[in-house]
Amino acid sequence: MISKKICMIGAFSVGKSALVARFVHSIFSDQYLSTVGVKISKKVIDLNGADLTMVLWDMEGKDDFADVHMSYLRGAMGFFTVADGTRRETLTMALRLRELALETAGDVPHIIIVNKADLDWEISDAQLADLEASGIRIIRTSAKTGLGVEEAFTTLAEAMMKN
Amino acid sequence: MSDKVTLTPLNTEPEIPAVRGTRFHEQNISDPRTETVPNSALYDADPTGHTDHDSDPNLQKLRELLFLREMELLRKLEKRLNDPLQHAQETSEVIAEALLLRSQQKDNMLYTAFEPMSERLLNDAVRKNPMDFVNVLFPLMGPAIRRSIAETFHSMLEGFHKTMEQVFSWKGMRWRWQAMRTGISFSEVVLLHTLLYRVEQIFFIHAETGLVLSHVYNEGVVTQDAEMVSAMLTAIQDFARDCFTGKQESSLDSLQMGEFTIMVERGSSAYLACVVRGSVPLEFKEKLRDTMIALQLKFADALNSFKGDTEKFLPARWDLENLLDARYADEDAPLPFWVKLLPVVLVLLLALGGGYLWHNVQQQNIAREEAKKYMEASFSQVGNEPGILLVEARQDAPDHWEAIYLKDRFAEDPQSLLDAKGIDPETYTLQVIPHVSYEADMLTKRVKERISPPESVSMVFDKDGTLYLRGEAPMSWILQARQEALALPGVEKIDMSGLIDPRVDELKRMIALVETTVVEFPSGKDVPVSEDAAKLAKAINTLVDIEKLAGSMNVTVNLTIYGHADATGSSKFNYEISQARARTIAAMLYNRGSAIPIAIYGMGSEHASQEPSEYTGNQTSRKVELRVHLAQLPSDTVLNILH
Repeated sequence: MISKKICMIGAFSVGKSALVARFVHSIFSDQYLSTVGVKISKKVIDLNGADLTMVLWDMEGKDDFADVHMSYLRGAMGFFTVADGTRRETLTMALRLRELALETAGDVPHIIIVNKADLDWEISDAQLADLEASGIRIIRTSAKTGLGVEEAFTTLAEAMMKN
Repeated sequence: MSDKVTLTPLNTEPEIPAVRGTRFHEQNISDPRTETVPNSALYDADPTGHTDHDSDPNLQKLRELLFLREMELLRKLEKRLNDPLQHAQETSEVIAEALLLRSQQKDNMLYTAFEPMSERLLNDAVRKNPMDFVNVLFPLMGPAIRRSIAETFHSMLEGFHKTMEQVFSWKGMRWRWQAMRTGISFSEVVLLHTLLYRVEQIFFIHAETGLVLSHVYNEGVVTQDAEMVSAMLTAIQDFARDCFTGKQESSLDSLQMGEFTIMVERGSSAYLACVVRGSVPLEFKEKLRDTMIALQLKFADALNSFKGDTEKFLPARWDLENLLDARYADEDAPLPFWVKLLPVVLVLLLALGGGYLWHNVQQQNIAREEAKKYMEASFSQVGNEPGILLVEARQDAPDHWEAIYLKDRFAEDPQSLLDAKGIDPETYTLQVIPHVSYEADMLTKRVKERISPPESVSMVFDKDGTLYLRGEAPMSWILQARQEALALPGVEKIDMSGLIDPRVDELKRMIALVETTVVEFPSGKDVPVSEDAAKLAKAINTLVDIEKLAGSMNVTVNLTIYGHADATGSSKFNYEISQARARTIAAMLYNRGSAIPIAIYGMGSEHASQEPSEYTGNQTSRKVELRVHLAQLPSDTVLNILH
């Protein structure tokens, strides 16, 4: 039985919670996010015939990363940084959070999720292609349609298992 | 296949040698190297296998020249394919490799193909030789089953014991009432009252990742998803640390929520979180610390290199289960020794009281039984008394009787007889019915009352109803008593031969004296000789006495005086003188005032004896004789009495 702690960080209102709401299971309410600053969910995925339990720490979205409880990132075995495709600054935030997370959690597998794929984006494909070229994994998702969400989890899980 | 046959595409259709059979055809189809060969090129032949070209000997010759080697090969090939034995042998050489190759493809076809077969095989094998499977499985399953059963029994017994303890006590009933009143379940109420503390859940958590390594919980505890709870617990600790101390090394030791405490015991890379209900004793904290240290040492490597694999921490379960403690309160407060003894004393007292009551009841029953017997015996005894007959004696109430007696007038009063036996008159009602008893005692009394016998008379009844009277009694009484007694029922006969009247004897003596008195007279005289004067006087006196005595006895006396003369003299004279002599005596009697009726007879010389002297005659013939008669009594009766 393998369990992994993964964190999900991002700027305010990038749709993190909405992103996972349909795909994970939680016993806690969203209020935890605004109080403790984190909400724990769980997702069990089937990876090559074996169950992998992903304990997801959905961290409260902040526009000022100084407010982020970085200690929640400790021990994370992988993380998502989430950006909102319709707001360019959220990608910047995501990149900065990514660096902070890497500092705290170490060099662990991670994915930048660019959400709201169902809308018109400010962030250009070229921009993302540049990032991908630098070795950053990027997955485009839509919380509305579910596009890319499962892929994001599976990709991160596989990366973590290899790690 | 070791011998590969390669068929190259041919443009000249007719030159292709015809090969019979379908195997070759199938084989060719599956062989990718023959894909380009049109089927028609190879099989343009009639069903008999003979083509039109077969008849052409030149063509046949040419074919042999050109394809001699190939035709030879084809024949060999055909032979191989048509020989099942050889075919099987060849397949056996490659089947393992073929299966291996196929299994590496992810199409599950092999699995699908083999699944029903292997299932059937396993079923058949188990059915045919179940013992083989038992022998193989036993060492694996045995210990697991034993352990499972033991644990189930243990928890069941514990629960049962606890429940029994509560359900059947006074306290238990009180709690049940409380449960009914408040709507809380009974088990919850019991828990609230009795639980000192109970370790409900223990999480063994990797400190850095917050991932749960092991999770155990007590029987009946409702748990949430351990992974999420562990993560949240870790998050909360991080949160608290961030918000309040900011120091990495500081940690949250416990969280208090109502009756629950979450105790946190930290190791260097993992921590234990215990959810405890009730107040946690100090010794449990120590136990928790010891366990954490032990786990940290035991799993040091696994913890340090932890990458999410929790399998390695399975053995931690046993250590954690040892911490699943629970302690229940026996009493709300320690009770003094005597209070604990109180139920025992009460039970003893009750037992003693019960025993005493029982004994009393038994005694009362015995006494009642004895009293009953005594009453019955008493009623019966009184019924046996002379003149009394018990008709019925029955108990009409627990302490009351009713008795019916028949009683002769002369019998004793049953009431006083019962009184004499000491029986309380309040305990019975008597009904006495008069009757006449024929018992001897009663008859005797009845006769006595009727005939009033003088004291000198005794009476005896024999069983035939004959009354025997003995003793002295006046004749008058005797005569009357006889009549009266015979008139009484029960008196059949009377024997009075034993009765004597002394006056009758006196009378008889006096009469005898009178009658034996002979008064002689001188010849020719009516005055007795002087020698007999005294004798005569005595007789006269006696007669007076007789008259008196007979008078007292109501017996009338008659006197007859016979006068006699001797043979001398004339007969006439002799009658006269004899009459005169009788008259003389009568006159003397009258002179004495007697009123006895007297009959005088002058007998002459009728009874004169022969005289010794013709002239002087015989003096003894000159006499008077007295005869006394008792009259006014039935002579036969009197005689009867007298004799």
